[in-house]
Amino acid sequence: MTTGVLIFAFNNQHIDYLAMANWSAQNIRRHLKLPVAVVTDSTIPQQYHFEQVIYATPEGNYERRFDDLNQPVTWYNGNRVDAYTLSPWSNTLVLDADYVVASNQLKTVLDIDQDFVAHQRAYDVGGHPNFNEHNTFGQYQMPMWWATVMFFRRSEQAQLIFESMQTIRNNWNHYKSLYNISRTTYRNDYALSIALGTVNGHVLNHPGIPWSLATVTHNQRLTQVDVDRYRVDFVAQDGKPKWLYLTQDFHAMGKVQLGDIIDNYS
Amino acid sequence: MDTENLIAHARARFDHAVAKRTLREKYQGKLIFAYAGGMWQAGPELLTTLKCCTGTAIILDLYETPIKVNAEEFYEQVSQRWQEQLNAWLIEYEELNKNR
Repeated sequence: MTTGVLIFAFNNQHIDYLAMANWSAQNIRRHLKLPVAVVTDSTIPQQYHFEQVIYATPEGNYERRFDDLNQPVTWYNGNRVDAYTLSPWSNTLVLDADYVVASNQLKTVLDIDQDFVAHQRAYDVGGHPNFNEHNTFGQYQMPMWWATVMFFRRSEQAQLIFESMQTIRNNWNHYKSLYNISRTTYRNDYALSIALGTVNGHVLNHPGIPWSLATVTHNQRLTQVDVDRYRVDFVAQDGKPKWLYLTQDFHAMGKVQLGDIIDNYS
Repeated sequence: MDTENLIAHARARFDHAVAKRTLREKYQGKLIFAYAGGMWQAGPELLTTLKCCTGTAIILDLYETPIKVNAEEFYEQVSQRWQEQLNAWLIEYEELNKNR
């Protein structure tokens, strides 16, 4: 029985996801003591280290506008649904390249006796209440499951979930209309949410990771002050500039700022 | 960081209320642990439940799975986890107060 982490890293013209994955792999080894496999189409620079490299052709050539980049970029996010077939591990923790591992919190996920778990609630570390809108999707406000952190064991149920996600990705226009999703771009979070609903007979009671996903959004400034210690500057609800320290794992939505942190590190 | 950002950075004030809330979210996760094949969140509710039991007890974990535990032994585990994490929480909270 093997356990490891799987990170998808398909670079585009603006974001070096492979560098993010390499930096994340170092954090993962330090905190979780787990091997890391990366799925990419890029040549791995000599100074990077992954326990396994899986080459794949990027799927899902989407245009997406990231607020911090201020322009649309090509976004290859269609391969995540292949995690089940691509993973070399029996128990796999799939992490976004921009998920920052700053503690051993994810070790707890490995102890969960479920075939598949993901986060059901994310929150804005700056406390903006509007962020809650992101915890649902589509006109019918279906509950969202976040594909940022997924843990699965090789099992019939996990296989079914990923196969359903593949069906949803391959027929995105149909599912987009069915759930009345206004955004045209395919998102793994939506595919996962729809798949979990389908696999569970539309009763919306799939077991999740029992804590919430901390999120630093595009419009917040993220800087690293020390190892595993970050400062987040944001505009509070009263319109005034505020800041706080973050000493936990989090999802960094601002790719440019995370890229700057990684550049300074290496 | 350009000059404009540096000025904004220096003028920003520490948000105690939001930092406190974020710390709470962090420790909600840290209080969760595995025991006897189930997942649990250390806290007063679980401690009180275990105080009401003796010997072998069957209680529901976070996923509503019935799990057989030794009440006394498990109480010790939960109590230890609760105190460890609350202590760590307190230390971070006091650090946070210094930033005011």
